[in-house]
This record gives sequence, C-alpha cells and structure tokens, in this order.
Amino acid sequence: MLQQDNSEREVMLNVEHLNMHFTTKKRGRVNTVKAVDDVNFQVYKGETFGLVGESGCGKTTTGRCLIRLYNPTSGKIELEGVDIMGKMTSEKRKYITDRAAMIFQDPIDSLNPRMTVAEIIGEGLKVRGIKDQKVVDEKIYDILDKVGLTKEHATRYPHEFSGGQRQRIGIARALVINPKLVIADEPVSALDVSVQAQVINLLNDLKDEMGLTILFIAHNLSVVKYFSDRLGVMYKGKLVEVSYASDIYERPIHPYTKSLLSAIPEPNPLKEKRRVRHAYDPTMHDYTKEQPSMVEIYPGHFVYASPSEIDRVLNGGEI
Amino acid sequence: MSNQVYEQNFDINNLDPADFVLINKGEAIKDEVSSIKALGFFKDAWVRLKRNKSAMMAFTLIMIIAFFAVVGPSMNKWGYNDQNPTWTNLPPRIPGLAGLGIADGTRILENRRTDYFSDPNKYPEGSILSYTVTGNVNGIDMATVKVDAYKLAGVPDDTNFLFGTDYLGRDLWTRMWRGARVSLTIAILAVSANIVIGVVYGAISGYYGGSVDMVLMRITEILGAFPQTIVATMLVLILGRGIRGIVTAMLIRGWTGTARLIRAQFFRYKGREYVLAARSLGVPDRKLIFRHILPNSIGPLITQAMVSIPGAIFSESFLSFIGLGLQAPEPSIGVLLSDAQKTLLTYPYQMVFPAILISILMISFNLLGNGLRDAFDPTMRGVTD
Amino acid sequence: MAKYIFQRILAAILTLFVILTIAFCVVRLMPGSVFDDPDLSDSVKKVLEERAHLDKPIFVQYLYFLKGVVTENDWGTSVKLSPGMPAFQVIVQKIPVTMALNFISLLIAVPFGALFGILAAMKNKTKVDTAISVGVILGISIPSFVFATCLQYFLAYKFGWFPILYQPTATTAVKVSSMVLPIFALALSPIATITRYLRGELIEVLNSDFMVLAKTKGLNQFQATVRHALRNAAMPLVSIILHMFAGVVGGSLVIERMFSIPGVGGLMIKSINALDHSLTVAVLIFYAMISVATALIVDLTYGVVDPRVRMGGKKDE
Repeated sequence: MLQQDNSEREVMLNVEHLNMHFTTKKRGRVNTVKAVDDVNFQVYKGETFGLVGESGCGKTTTGRCLIRLYNPTSGKIELEGVDIMGKMTSEKRKYITDRAAMIFQDPIDSLNPRMTVAEIIGEGLKVRGIKDQKVVDEKIYDILDKVGLTKEHATRYPHEFSGGQRQRIGIARALVINPKLVIADEPVSALDVSVQAQVINLLNDLKDEMGLTILFIAHNLSVVKYFSDRLGVMYKGKLVEVSYASDIYERPIHPYTKSLLSAIPEPNPLKEKRRVRHAYDPTMHDYTKEQPSMVEIYPGHFVYASPSEIDRVLNGGEI
Repeated sequence: MSNQVYEQNFDINNLDPADFVLINKGEAIKDEVSSIKALGFFKDAWVRLKRNKSAMMAFTLIMIIAFFAVVGPSMNKWGYNDQNPTWTNLPPRIPGLAGLGIADGTRILENRRTDYFSDPNKYPEGSILSYTVTGNVNGIDMATVKVDAYKLAGVPDDTNFLFGTDYLGRDLWTRMWRGARVSLTIAILAVSANIVIGVVYGAISGYYGGSVDMVLMRITEILGAFPQTIVATMLVLILGRGIRGIVTAMLIRGWTGTARLIRAQFFRYKGREYVLAARSLGVPDRKLIFRHILPNSIGPLITQAMVSIPGAIFSESFLSFIGLGLQAPEPSIGVLLSDAQKTLLTYPYQMVFPAILISILMISFNLLGNGLRDAFDPTMRGVTD
Repeated sequence: MAKYIFQRILAAILTLFVILTIAFCVVRLMPGSVFDDPDLSDSVKKVLEERAHLDKPIFVQYLYFLKGVVTENDWGTSVKLSPGMPAFQVIVQKIPVTMALNFISLLIAVPFGALFGILAAMKNKTKVDTAISVGVILGISIPSFVFATCLQYFLAYKFGWFPILYQPTATTAVKVSSMVLPIFALALSPIATITRYLRGELIEVLNSDFMVLAKTKGLNQFQATVRHALRNAAMPLVSIILHMFAGVVGGSLVIERMFSIPGVGGLMIKSINALDHSLTVAVLIFYAMISVATALIVDLTYGVVDPRVRMGGKKDE
C-alpha cells in the first residue's frame, strides 16, 4: 500500500466535527449519550476506509449518520463535495441515496422476511423510477450473478438462504443501484468464520469491478487488516487514531489502538504463547491541564492526544 | 496437498507472505438452487392451523352458524315478524326427536281442573296425553297434565316449530337465525371499523413516536378509563337504538386495543435493519409503513380481530339485555335472550337455543383466535395471554 | 420516590378532570330534558330551568357544575328519581351493595383462579390440565348473563337452593344466600382469566433455563413452582386483577339488574331513562374513578415493588 500524498486525492466523503447525541428523558431525568463526539475524517475516492472499535463505541451510529439514517446533532458531512446536513428534502434524499448504499450487519434481520429476493433487490430500482419490469429483472439477475447466486434464487424468500447467502443478497441490494460509496456495517461479524473470507473477497472483487469506495465498519482489527487502505480507530464516540492500515499496524501510537492490536491472536502458537494483552485504561490521560485534539503526528497519521503527549511520542516515548 | 505441507520442514518464524493465498480468491461462487419448495407466510400458518383440532372444529362451527345465519331465516314459510296470537309460546317440536322425549311439542300444565278435560273447546281431541290428580279444590279434582301443546293451540299436525314460538307466536327458528345474522353483522362491522381506526392511529403513533405518540397515547388512556359497558350504554342513548348506534358505541373505545397493538409492532419493527436498509435506498415513508412494517402485524391483527368478535357479540347482547338493544321487532341474539329472560321460569326453552348459540359462537371465536395466534406465531404456543 | 408518587397522582387527577368534562358534555348533549313535561306550564318550566342553569350556554353550565364539585362536593341534585336529593348522596347509598358484590366476587376469584392455574401448570399435558383448559375457555366465552340465567333457573328455581332474586329486607342468612348466585355469576370470568394467565405464565417459566437450574439444586417441582415461578408471575397478576376489577364493576350492571340488586348499575340505567342528568354524570364519574384509581394503584405498586420502573429503566438497586 503506497502512501500517497493525500492532498492530491479526490475526497469522496468529508466529515468534520460530527456529533450525534442521544437524549433520553425518563420521568424528568435527561440523560445525554454522546454516541459520536466531534469526529473528523475523510474518505478518498476508490479507497477502503476501515472504522474499527469495540461494540458500542459509536461506529455504527457514525455510519448511519453519514447517509442520514440518523439526524446528526451537529457537524458537517460532505458527500462528493456537497453538504448533506440540514433539513432533509426529497432532492437531498435522492442525492444521498443515488451515491451511497449500506450493507447491514445482521444477515437475518436486514432482509424483509415477507419479500422475495427479487423484490428486496428490485426495491431500490423501483424507487428510482425504473418502471420497466424487464429492465428491473435484468439488473436483478445480473447482480445476483455477480454475488454468486442464480436467477432461480430470485423468487425465493430470505429464510431459505444461509447466512453467507443472505449477506450476499444484502450486498446485491446495495450494489444494484450502482452506488459510488458503500458503507459496510460489520458485514461479516455475524457470519461463520469460514464464510467471512468468502464474503470479504466478494466485496473486494466487486470493489475493483465497480470502482467503489468502501467505508468498512468492523470491531475486529484482523478482519480489516488486509482489506483496508486506511483505518480509523474509535473509542467511546471519539476517533482516536487515523492512518494508513500498514502504519497503524507497524507504528500504533494511541494506547487504545495498541490494546486492540494486542488482542489479535497470533497464528503461530509459539508467538501466541508470548502474546501480551494490553488493557487500555482511559484514566491514564491527564486532560485536566491541556485539551487533547486531533494532531497529524506523521504525514497522514492522525492521533487524538494532548500537546505534551505528542511531545513524548516525538521524543521516542509513549503516550 | 496438506500432507506435503507437513512434510516440509519449514521455519514457522520466517514465513514468506508469497506462500499464502487468500481462500476462494478469484474463485467464482456459484450456489445451487435447493429443490425444496418453500412455504409462504400464510400457507405456513394455514398448515399449522390445520393441525390444531379445536381451532378447526371451531372454524367449522362458525361456518355452520354463518351458513344458517344466511339461509336459516328463509328456510320455512314464516317471517321473523309473523305473529300469530293463538300459537303463542309453543314448545319446540322437531320431527324425529319426538320418540326420545325431547322437543316433542309437549308441555306439563299444573293445577288443571279435570272436569274441563272432556270439553273439546278447551282441550281439543287428543291434546291430553296423560295426567295425575294432585288434589281436590271445591270438589273438583285438580291434576298435573301432560298436553300436546300443538293440538291444544290447534296447530296442524304437519306444522312444526323447530325451536318453538315466542310470546307473540313468532317462529323462533327464523328469529334466532335472523338474530344471529344481525349480531354477526354488528360484530363484524364494529370489529372491522375498529381495526381500520386502530391501525391508522397506532401506525401514526408508532411511526412518528416522540411527542405525537405521547399525545395520542394520552387520549387512548383517557378513553380507556371509562368502562366499555358504560361508554356503550351512554352512546346508544345518544345515538339511538339502531345498528348504527350500537356499532358506534362499540367503536368509541374498541379501537384502542388495536391501536396499542399496532403501535407496539411499529416500535418493534421500525428500527429493524431491513427497514433501515429500505430507508437507505430512499424508499418513501408511506411505502415503509405499508410494505415493510405493517405486514408484520397481519398475524397479530387477524388474531386480534378474531378475539374481538366475541367481545362485540357480547357487547351487543349486553346492551340488549339491559334493554338498550335493537328496536323491536328486529331480533338479535341479545334481544332473544332478553325476551326469553322475562319468561325464563315458565318457558325455559326460549332461552335454551339462543343461550347455546351465543355460547358456541363465543367459544368458537375464542378457540379460533387462539389457534390463529399459535399458527401465526409458533413461539407463543401454550402461552394463552 | 415521593416525586414519583406525586407525579402519578397528579396525572390521575388530570385524567379524572378530563373525564369529568367529557362526561358532563356527553350527558348534557343527550336529547331530551327532564323538564319536557306537558303538565308543566311554561313559566314554571322556565323557573325550574333557570334554577338548574339550563337556560345558559353549556360552557357556563359546566363552570357552575365545576364550581359546585370543587367547592362543596356538590354533584348536582337529582330531579326525578329521588327529587331534591343531592346526587352524591344518592350514589353513596348505592355504593356499598355494588362494592360488596364486586369485591367478594374478586376475593373468591383470586384463590380459585390461582389454585386452578397452578394445578394446570403442574399437571401440564395431563387430563387435569385439559379439563381446566376446557373450563377456562367456557368461563371466558360464556357471557355472565347467560351463566347467571342458568344459575337462576337450575340452582334457584329447579332445586330451590337459593333465592331467585336479591332479598335486601330478609334475615341475614337469607340475604347472604341470595347474594351467592350473583357473586358466583360475576366470579366465573375472573376465575377463568386468572387461571389462564397463571397457567400460561407458569408453564413458560417452568420450561425456562433457570428452572432447570433450580431443579439441579434439588428443588422439587412444587418448591420450584412456588419459589421461582410464582414470584415472577405475581406482579403482573396483581395488575391483571386490579384492571379486572374495573371491568367487573362495569359488568355487574347487568347482574344487578337480573337479580334486582339495588346498586349503582341499576341507578345508572334508571337515571339515563329518567333523563336525570346530574345523577347520570355522577354515576359515570363513579365508574371512571374506579378505573382511574385501579390504574393508579397498579402504577404505584409497580413503582414501589420494582425500582426499575420508578427510576425509568435505570438499574440502580
């Protein structure tokens, strides 16, 4: 993976100061959860950007905010240079849905059990005003073939398929409308390990074939390891480190990233025996005197830290 | 292949990445189509329902009652309001059952003067079947007589009132089936209207949530604070005692149950990933509601309708029973029960048939409702609340 | 805690207020007036209507009514059924017999329902269970007045075990025995409902994993049922029973009429037919109060027993 100069690359998705706060009010008590807290990152055209973090860190929420399934509290989201924040109009909805599609996590929950495969995949086409059933069918059969299913599967219901097959139907549904950006929300985490590789490879092949940009959300660094060009690590609603995938693996800076990396099992049993599991303790940071911020510590390598922590890292130490 | 790998004495610490190949990289995935034909949602439910014996029996009974409700009133020559002052309160006579001693058109009369027995004006030829003298008043023997009520009233031998006649000499067979028709019509009207209102209301409340939901649910809570029977009573008084009044009375509160059910379903399904997936494709709200969220509620909705029908039948007969039912001469099951209640101690048979009919109807709809719930949602099997 | 109770009570009072308003409007909008009597001369009628504020717009009538209720517990005056008597007093006279009837029915229903429910659950899939289930379906399906009719005909008329009608003036023994049939008729449906709920709930709990665990610890079926399953089922049962109470009170209307029991239900029918509006409003409020009060009790007991409800889902014990 070549480390290019980012300033020359075309930006597909630009996210600045994105905030998504959920407030629950029960019997007068207001409780605010900052699911996404001041998140900044860019996704360049044609790349695969991995968003990694533990369960509940806000990565799914981020993904859903990006195509306005949720209404973000504040911030700026630009899709191909156009701001998609603000009031949802039908033109804006069309702009977003024409460019971005989503692949969901749960292969069982993400397909409507009452609809046939053809109906599920064809819905996106019909919403776009393609009335001719022949054209719709052709596109459905074409995309089914691409994801390794056949024409005959089109009339079947989701419950007749295995998890991997269902996930491929989900991929077909997302890709049939020819999106430019695909947000894949943990597309393989609910699948059997043996099927995970199959689905990831399929996604990778389709990415090359269709020229997609992929935002790949995962909780498992080993899954995104070879799949992503760049990685963002999230912790409790904040993006703590963004860099090239190889960079993250070779030169992790943020302690949380280190702890995530240390959790990957080694295939070599001798190494696995010696593997030390780092635990991340958020209280190690002393942010009372100085405010942390996102700093580009090396070219293209951003980390969320305070100035004194940056100094320490640059002097060969650790945060 | 794998054996060779093991035989090679490689150094595990110095592996060459080039030796590794991604699993099924570049390999085309081609899935076979399974040959088993899948069952659709309704077919699946139907298969399960068919296995439920009590539900199928209930279904058959309902069908039989519905059949008679349609054709029963025109099966003999009497209309539902054909009165005959000489043929009043005749007991039922069903040809073929007479030999068993039931429904043979006889009646026991107590304390009758034996000296009148020979008067053909009072007791026509052959009307006295047997008697036992029970006492003597003023020198006249008094007796308990078993009479043929039909001969006594001068009804021709070939004329049978299967369920007897009422206090105006009207044929109860005709009246009962017409009553069943009216009661079922009212119930079905009320329940369908309730379902429509409940679905729309619950869908709005559940889909939009937030403050809309809060206001709408407050309203149902307030409506729910009035007991159903009281509200119904009040409304019938305002709107008048016709089908319209009774149906409206059942509407005022009846839909809140459906609304709550649909609202709960919306809360459950609107956040599901397939709904989000459809939204992410730009599917409009209207289509999300009707195509993606509402179909999940069809099972519970059908069950709810089945369970509400006996409730509506009950409400109707309840209103009639307290004297707020349909206006005479229109019968309904409740009107018949209410009329029969007045003469219960002297002519109990007038009560028997409507009471059996309403009980069978209520039981059947309840059983069918249970069966449908189990069929639509097998995980609920055995849990009957 | 105090805040929670306060909030619930406030909400209940607000609900009652809305109901009061609706009841008032609906009853006043009913066609006919008690003074539509051809025997009354126009001038007398006018005076009477003026005294009852009937000549004023409905909103003003409502304000008068509200003022009376709030300041001096004046629910209006009965004009026809018990002329000149305050509606409040008329109702208060009728409440004891109605409440006695309903309370006793429920009091009887709870132990019987619990007994049948536990029995059916423990003997699940045996003849006992089947028999109880059939009974439940019958109890839920057969309307109370049909059941009451059967009781009246067979037990009272044919066998003569009980009086056919309520005997308010007779000796205590006869009075009590004349209450047996109406109470029994009213209790049937609650018994069936409780049985059905408990049976379903217990069967589910008995098949759950923690029940298997309880048995591996050495508890026998009965202990397991009582200690674990019943405890889980108890709270919802309380709310079911309380909600049922409101329903039973409404349903007792017809039973009161069948057995000639001089209760609130009979009063309601009579007052409506006599166009005695003040009385009708008062009776409606009485029924609404029972509904609201039971709902409030359910909320409060849940809040007290289960802290999660009170704290709005937060699990701090």
